[in-house]
Order: sequence, then structure tokens, then C-alpha cells
Amino acid sequence: MKREIPIAMTMLAGLIVTAAFFSKAPWLQAANAELLSWALIFFSVAFLLGIGNLFRINLKQIAMRHPDWPYKAILLITLSGYLILGLLEIEGFIVYGDGSLGNKVYQDWIHGAVFKPLQATMFSLLAFYIASAAFRAFRARSFEATLLLGAGAVVMLAQVPLPIPGGSAIGSIVQPMQHFLMAFVNTAGQKAIIMGAALGVLATGLRIVLGIERSYLSE
Amino acid sequence: MKDFDRRWIFLAMGIVVVSLFTLEKPTEMPPSEYVQSYYDTIEALPEGSIVMLSADFDPASAAELLPTYQATIHHLLRRNIRVINVATWPAAPPYTRAGFDEIAPLYGKAYGTDWVELGFIPGDDVAMGSIGQSLRSAYATDDRDSTPIAELPLLDGIQDRMEGIEVLISMSAGYPGILEWIAQVGGRYEVPILTATTAVQTPDLFAYYPTQLSGFAGAATGATQYLQLVTVDMPVAVEGEPETLVDVKVNNQERMLIQAGAHMLILLLILVGNLLYFFTKGSR
Repeated sequence: MKREIPIAMTMLAGLIVTAAFFSKAPWLQAANAELLSWALIFFSVAFLLGIGNLFRINLKQIAMRHPDWPYKAILLITLSGYLILGLLEIEGFIVYGDGSLGNKVYQDWIHGAVFKPLQATMFSLLAFYIASAAFRAFRARSFEATLLLGAGAVVMLAQVPLPIPGGSAIGSIVQPMQHFLMAFVNTAGQKAIIMGAALGVLATGLRIVLGIERSYLSE
Repeated sequence: MKDFDRRWIFLAMGIVVVSLFTLEKPTEMPPSEYVQSYYDTIEALPEGSIVMLSADFDPASAAELLPTYQATIHHLLRRNIRVINVATWPAAPPYTRAGFDEIAPLYGKAYGTDWVELGFIPGDDVAMGSIGQSLRSAYATDDRDSTPIAELPLLDGIQDRMEGIEVLISMSAGYPGILEWIAQVGGRYEVPILTATTAVQTPDLFAYYPTQLSGFAGAATGATQYLQLVTVDMPVAVEGEPETLVDVKVNNQERMLIQAGAHMLILLLILVGNLLYFFTKGSR
């Protein structure tokens, strides 16, 4: 029964959610909405499990004086601090001004002053690494690689207004080429990949719903 | 070439970016068919319509998406279109609050009747499916001050299966984002969808336009083109006054010049790298 009950539940849930795509029967739609609500609850609980696991692993390493233990301590302090501040603010124990700006003002301040610049800085570094990688890795070693390089160069040139003498003339040549590449060549390739992937997902979904694929049961 | 110090490349990129940044030269770009369609779809909405605006991004992609996001908020509110804000990325709601707190008063719009913030919902595609199936099941309260959503007048006319929502707009930086909205909501409930995406995701969109996607603004280029359309009849920016949409447009146009410089440097590096490769091929 340890195997049969989960397989039956999976089959039932899968069939209801799939059937709800094709039928507007009220009972089916209600069942689908209920199942989706359960799924959202599971996702939220997963966050709690994740936080618990993060504490368990990092506290253990702090206690063992792992070489990186100060960073792990900072992680836990930051996580706890933001969580406590958030709960206090949402529950109304901390209110900014007359409260008309809502109950996330302090959380948003931390987001804007700390998280936003840090993440934006990390992402901005890509400009430097892409330039370095382009110099080292993009080689016309074969016919296919040359085609790829040519297409990339056309798209990059057409994507921006060129600030050089004759820039508009170059733009007027590469822009129709870019349109052809993106709207026809790219679209045809994308559609083929999408259809292939969709059929693969459908096959995998059917295998799970029918109980053939059981890897989610650790089998 | 193996011994080449890549810090020279970093320095070259730094010089290009900083020098073009100080030049402050706005550059105009003609709108593409896809951006024009994004703009026209919003223009065609009747006053009082309700639009769902999903913030599916975080600070890493804000440089590409925030200008379109702010311009879209201006565009919607200026046309007296009401907005339901949702988010499938946890770091997105602060952008929603900041945007609406700043922009809504300019058009005399009130929270609860003209716009609402439902906030982040975990669950990726499942969350999108749940929003499409029943907004009231997906959210119990709003994200601004935990008001039960039954008390938000804007949601009075909204039924299950997206009934009452004229258009869904996703500011998409990846997964979950526009492709999941199309799969879970667009085709299923026949809601027109618009999107603004990062450059990396833009090539994926052509396959869906115009049947499953009514229009899109791809990356900073799309943002620049859309901002030009939205600000056509707006007054020019005044120095010393708070930032307006026209300032956002000008800033974005200036940034296009920086992006153009960076693109050209990368192409030059590829060219030099290949020339060195071919000329040293024999000696290796």
C-alpha cells in the first residue's frame, strides 16, 4: 500500500488538473482550484523547510568553527533580522509614519539600500566578463561557428544605434537582416524546439500520471 | 594569446562605458512592429478596463525592465485603466510599491479602486495557474496592508478564469515569466498578453507573436522605443524638478549609446581574437 496509494493519488490529481484544461464543468473546476491551492501551500511550507535546513547546516558549521564560519553567522543574522523585522511590520508592531504607505516600508528600505545595489552590481560585472569571453572563445573554427558568429554580429549591430560615421547606413543594411534572422530563422528553430519539448513533457506527464514513471517515489 | 592579461579588456570596457556615460547624448530609435503593437494594445483598451500587471523580475534585470515597467504604469494610469499587481519573483514587489506610490498621485489615482498590490506568490507555474483559475483562491489578502481582498473594490468585477481582466502584462526576466504565463493563462483563458523581457529572453518570444503574444518590448532597445511612443505628447523635462517619464526616456536613450559602444567593443574583440587565431594558427 505504500506504493499504491501515492501512485493512485498522483494519477487522480494529474487527471483532474489535465481534464480541467478541457472541460468547464463546475465540479471539475472547483476540484482543480482546490488542488492548486494545496500546491501553493506545499510551496510555502517548502520555504519554511528550506529556512530550517539552512539553520541546521550553518549552525553546525559555526559550532565546528568552519573556516567560513563568520560568513555563515552573517547569513543567519541577516536572515533572522529581515524575517523578524518583516513579521513585526506586517503585524503592525512597527509602523512608518501614519501607515498610509503600507506595512512594508522598512523592508523596502533594506531592499533598496542593500539588496538592490548588491545584486545590480553583480549582474553589471557580466559586461566585463562577456567582453573577455568574446575575445577568448568566439572563434570561426568551422562553418557552423562562422555562421553563428556572423548572425550574432548582425543582431548585435542592428540592436543599437551606431555612434560612428556611417552608422545609420550600416544600420539600414543590418536591420532587415536582423529582422529576417529573428522573425524567420529564429522563429522556425524556436517553434521546432518548443514542439519537441512539449511532446517530451506530455510523454513524461503521461508516464507519471499512469504510474509508469516512479522516480518521485525514490524508485 | 594565453598570456594576455584580461584586465586590459576590463579596462577598455570601463573606458568605453564611462566615456559614453559622460557624453549624455540621447539617441532616437524607430519603434519596431512588436513594440508598436505593445503600445497599440494598451491604447485600444477602453477607459476603466482592468489589467493584470505581473512583476517577474529582480534587481539584476531592473536596468533592462524598470524603464518599461515605469512607462507602462504611466501609460495605464494616464489612460484611466485600473491595475491589479501580482509578482512571481520575491524581490519584485518593492518595485511595484515604489512605482505606484510615485506615479499614481500624478494622475489622482487611489489605492483599492484604481490599483491594488497583491504581491508575491510562491509556486512558479502552479501559482500562475492558480491565479488564472481563481484569483480569490490564490490570494487571501493584499500585500500593502494585509487587507482581505474581498474588501478591495477593484476586484468586485473579477471572476474566476480571468473574467474581467482585459490584458495580462508580464515584466519578465526569466523563469517563471512570460513563457509560463502564456502556457498557464494566455491560451487557456484567451487573455491577450503583453510583455517586456530581458535581451536573453527576447528571441524566445518571436515564436509566440502575434497569436499568443500581442506585443513585446525586448530589453533596453524595446524600452527606448516604447518610451519614445509613450512620451510623444508629454512636456519636456525641466532641470531641477523631480524625475518625470521624459527623464526616464532621456536616460534610457543615453544608455543606448553606452550599450552601442559596448556592442562595438565586443565585436572588435571578436574580430581581433579571430585575426590573431588565424595568423598564429601555423605557428601552433
